[in-house]
Amino acid sequence: MAFDSAKYVLGQSLISLKRNIWLSVASILTVMISLTLLGSSLLFLANTSHIAKTFESQLEIAVFLNDKLNADQIIAIQNNIQNRDGVAAVTFTSKDQAIINFQESLGSKSLLEDLGGVNPFPNKLTVTATDARQVQNIASQVLGIAGVDKVRYGEGILEKLIVFTGWLRWIGIGVVAAFSFASFLLITLNIKTNLNFREKEIQIMRLVGASNSVIRWPFLLEGLIIGLFGAGLAVILVGTGYSWLLQYIVATLAFMPVVADQMFLMLVLFIMILSGMIMGALASVFSIRKFLEF
Amino acid sequence: MIKLRNVSKIYPNGARALSNISLEIAKGEFVFLVGQSGAGKSTLIKLLYREEVATRGQVYINNANLIRLKPHQVPLVRRNIGVIFQDFKLLPTKTVFENVAFAQHVIGKNKKESKASTENMLELVGLGRKKNAFPSELSGGEQQRVCVARALVNHPSLLVADEPTGNLDMETAWGIMELLNHINKLGTTVVMATHAMQIVKQMNKRVVRVEEGKIAEDTAEGAYKFGF
Ligand SMILES: Nc1ncnc2c1ncn2[C@@H]1O[C@H](COP(=O)(O)OP(=O)(O)O)[C@@H](O)[C@H]1O
Ligand SMILES: [Mg+2]
Repeated sequence: MAFDSAKYVLGQSLISLKRNIWLSVASILTVMISLTLLGSSLLFLANTSHIAKTFESQLEIAVFLNDKLNADQIIAIQNNIQNRDGVAAVTFTSKDQAIINFQESLGSKSLLEDLGGVNPFPNKLTVTATDARQVQNIASQVLGIAGVDKVRYGEGILEKLIVFTGWLRWIGIGVVAAFSFASFLLITLNIKTNLNFREKEIQIMRLVGASNSVIRWPFLLEGLIIGLFGAGLAVILVGTGYSWLLQYIVATLAFMPVVADQMFLMLVLFIMILSGMIMGALASVFSIRKFLEF
Repeated sequence: MIKLRNVSKIYPNGARALSNISLEIAKGEFVFLVGQSGAGKSTLIKLLYREEVATRGQVYINNANLIRLKPHQVPLVRRNIGVIFQDFKLLPTKTVFENVAFAQHVIGKNKKESKASTENMLELVGLGRKKNAFPSELSGGEQQRVCVARALVNHPSLLVADEPTGNLDMETAWGIMELLNHINKLGTTVVMATHAMQIVKQMNKRVVRVEEGKIAEDTAEGAYKFGF
């Protein structure tokens, strides 16, 4: 495309944006909202799954053994569990150690005597899983092993956490999709308004043999500019908002395992910019598709 | 220059506008297309600048096969064809000069290149002194002259005109006809659809009469008989 055509194209896009300034502002703002939501959802999901993973990895299965088992049998069970899929580690806590631990946690020195010399604690194996979703499966397998009396793990909490993050993901996707669609419609409306406004001009351009690209580019550019402006605002919002939130959380809730990776934040912001451009370009192509086929 | 071979045009709604038309027009000719309203004149004109594509048959302009044209080739073919209409299709927010220059800018010519040719063309159509006027400040005849200037500014070898005098009174219409005749003398092929028989009669050009989508009569220059 010749330089003068390029100047014409850019000029036309800017004139169009100015002509419907309020529509343009509305389009840019909806793009901003949808991309802010997109960015926030991405960051939120990354954090919830990071938090979930961190907590999940701390989940343990407590396996209580029958008192009649001898040392060899206990080692056999330990090995049996250790060799199963998804098991990260198995550690043994004897019933003697267990009562000492408990005694210490109570700050008592004579617990065993108080209990009349009978140690109520069973021998225990502590199992950790490589993946939290394996915990339930491993627990039920272990319960089937002869000599295992009882199995305890964070029943309920874990399932709820997984279901909860799953829901969040879907809600996030839904909200982002809804706002993206709204942005798409507004950009389309914007471009169609200009298309109507310039109908005669386009007719004449086609008549005198303006190349298809010169006819289309003002509209494509218009969509792209709206997308980029919206994305730019959203990036500023999400970027500063997240940094601020990180500082706040690190200062007040230090134990929260948040995602503080700058590279990840950059990636999210980049995805937002890219989505803005794609949104704008798609809306443009959609509105001018009848001019795309000659 | 122009060659139509067994051309039919059926619109998507089923309307049969042209049936099996064959027609040849040589370079430098001036041809009138006449016939009643609905005969198919406009459709034939539209096939020439590829606003419409023939349903069957072949259309050649300067050896370019318009049926086989790829989308990106259409603009290039159009640059070689000027078009004027009954309604002038001028941009109301642009001046006379800008309306004509616009046709050059959008095909990539820069301001400097276009300035001289725009002014020359406005001189040719007799509007040199009204170049800064807006279309609304001009008479119908003057507006059509601007359209002629715009159609010719990129030096097409063919000018097609669909009822260019339809909105003008007789005297103004004659002014436009003189202009078209002059342009034809300068070498541009002209194809003009009209039902202004007065004009056809006096111009003494080749006349192609279209009737219900067929060529009913094709009469050489000066031989057209007016039986009605
Ligand atoms: N875009 C169109 N869609 C459907 N039918 C059309 C269209 N344009 C013209 N026609 C039909 O084709 C026939 C020829 O029309 P047209 O070429 O405009 O004739 P003329 O210019 O001689 O009056 C008419 O019957 C008309 O109704
Ligand atoms: Mg007609």
